[in-house]
Amino acid sequence: MSTTSPSRWKTIRNETGRALTALVIALAVALVVILLTSADPGAAFQTLLTAPLSSNRTMGLWIDDVAKLTLTGLAFSLVFQARQFSMGVQGQVYMGGLFAALIAMSPIGATPLAIPVAMLAAMCAGAVYGFIPGYAKARFGASEIVSSLMLNYIAILVVNYLIRAHLAPAGTGQLMTAKFPDTAIFPAILPGTRFDLGIIIALVATFAVWFLLYRTSWGLKLRLVGHNPKFAEYAGIRSSFIMVSAMTVAGAFGGLLGSVFVQGRAFGNLAQNFDGNLAFEGILIAIVARSRPLAVPVVALAYGYLRQGAQLMGIRTDVPTEMISVVQAIIILLVASSFSLPGKKLFAGLFGRKPTSAAAPEAAQ
Amino acid sequence: MIELLVTVFSATFFVTVVRTTTPLLFAALGGLISDLSGALNVALEGMMLIAALTAVIVSVYAPWYVAVLSGVAAGAMLGALMAFFHLRLKADIILVGFAVNILATGGTVFALSRATGGDKGTSINLPSKAVPAVDLSFLEAIPAVGPTLKSLLSGHSILSWLGVFMVFAVWYFLFRTPYGLWLRGVGEYPAAPEAAGIPVAKVRAWSLVASGALAGIGGAQLAMFNYIGFTRDMTAGRGFIALGAVLLGARHPVGAMLAALLFGIFEALAVVMPNLFNWIPGEMIQTIPFVVTVLALILFSYRAQRARQMRTLSKI
Repeated sequence: MSTTSPSRWKTIRNETGRALTALVIALAVALVVILLTSADPGAAFQTLLTAPLSSNRTMGLWIDDVAKLTLTGLAFSLVFQARQFSMGVQGQVYMGGLFAALIAMSPIGATPLAIPVAMLAAMCAGAVYGFIPGYAKARFGASEIVSSLMLNYIAILVVNYLIRAHLAPAGTGQLMTAKFPDTAIFPAILPGTRFDLGIIIALVATFAVWFLLYRTSWGLKLRLVGHNPKFAEYAGIRSSFIMVSAMTVAGAFGGLLGSVFVQGRAFGNLAQNFDGNLAFEGILIAIVARSRPLAVPVVALAYGYLRQGAQLMGIRTDVPTEMISVVQAIIILLVASSFSLPGKKLFAGLFGRKPTSAAAPEAAQ
Repeated sequence: MIELLVTVFSATFFVTVVRTTTPLLFAALGGLISDLSGALNVALEGMMLIAALTAVIVSVYAPWYVAVLSGVAAGAMLGALMAFFHLRLKADIILVGFAVNILATGGTVFALSRATGGDKGTSINLPSKAVPAVDLSFLEAIPAVGPTLKSLLSGHSILSWLGVFMVFAVWYFLFRTPYGLWLRGVGEYPAAPEAAGIPVAKVRAWSLVASGALAGIGGAQLAMFNYIGFTRDMTAGRGFIALGAVLLGARHPVGAMLAALLFGIFEALAVVMPNLFNWIPGEMIQTIPFVVTVLALILFSYRAQRARQMRTLSKI
């Protein structure tokens, strides 16, 4: 990737500008919502914007989120680059988490092999789960959007059932498994925080996806299929194979995220509904990053900060965490739309018209 | 097994099926209209969820029909929002749809906790109203078939009857009015209506608004009849199942109704089965509607693909 080319820098500048504009507009709306609903809006807004930096522990929480958001963002980027709207990351996370947990709780869990084997099992499970909607689309023409969403619900129900009925310690009525052995849990990089192996896995995965997309012929074909399927077909690329393989590889990263979830220091066990809807936030990451793998961690860093701020705002103030979904929706809407042109016109109109409209009453006086 | 058959062929099961089908039917009709205009509406789920919450909160302060109408208005406004971002700002319709879904999952919890004073799970402490059921007990007076008719037809939500009417209304609109022809033309091949001077973007925008309004009725039915009150994520994938019904229904209102009915039957099965088979875990029973949707979608897509291949073969 040559970083010297001026057009690339221009693209990066433009995209950053768009993302920042969207962020500012979204935060402005968030401020209005907070002003309308909170008894102490100042404290709430300040918590939203500064709380993640308040201690080592909260910074650990932030980085932990960044690792997870990066992985889900990568999984979505891969399918979006192939112009597939597979929404199955959540299901892959549950399947990956399940298989990672099964390995961690088996005899292998007590050996040093626990972490790599569990990660591999999770990736395989996720890949299979990503393959199903891809195959159903390529072979039968079934919409991948609907089938992948249905598979999400199925995965969540199956995993929740297995935890409740089989994996939770018998007789306790808990909705989670016992803690995995220490050998199966990611080691902490900074002791006492959640700053663990997950972030390194995320960075390696980022590089791997970039390499796959931009340095292999498979990646070139994938981007071609995503860009112009007809041209790709004429060029002799089997687009259905590329489609299925893109969804399968993305599934593997979704599964990997499952293993990062359950083996990370945040959990260290398999619990019901463990993903907390984080998997779907990869849509936002991928869109803002324009499905460019190298931009994904940067976006995840910024968005993870906001997300953690919202979590802490929910805990420390009277504004519920879910307020952040307004910000999410606005960012997606603004970044996905080509608002720069009408936006510029609007601003030009605002600034161009303001003086005249201000001047008009004066003239009348 | 016998017990299951007895249950399935009972009148109460039929009433349950009608109840579970109604929200799906409205959402599927909404999805059909926007799909025919060329915009796949993946936000049916979010529209239903927001409409359900709106209807519940309004019903605390106003009569039930005002609540239903406010749900419809909420859905229609979301449709207008999607139209604005998709048509004016050229955003991808699927991404816009998911933005609405994300707004709905978080936004409803946020609004719910504001409305109930901190409860993020249910609206149980809000005295919300229900959509009245239509009482047809006078049918019992008919000799011989009276009691059966009464047990089959009485006690459905007014909205269920409206749903049956809407299938006809949507069919009439799509296939018997000029505007329906415009709408189908815009979805089929936008360049032609464009050349004929039909405002393509306007037609799409209105079909998204109508789509949202219909999904809104579905949401109102869900929170004011199927369940009284709002619970977090109460649509539980129904919007996406309805989207499956649109794809399954061969782009025709009657087809969409039949598909919605199919999914409604399996959802009703998932409702009655826990009482009959307590050895099957509840989670497994809950997966039934989703499994059936995937399988039906694959099967139908396969058949449609085969039919297309046959047509191209016969041309050669």
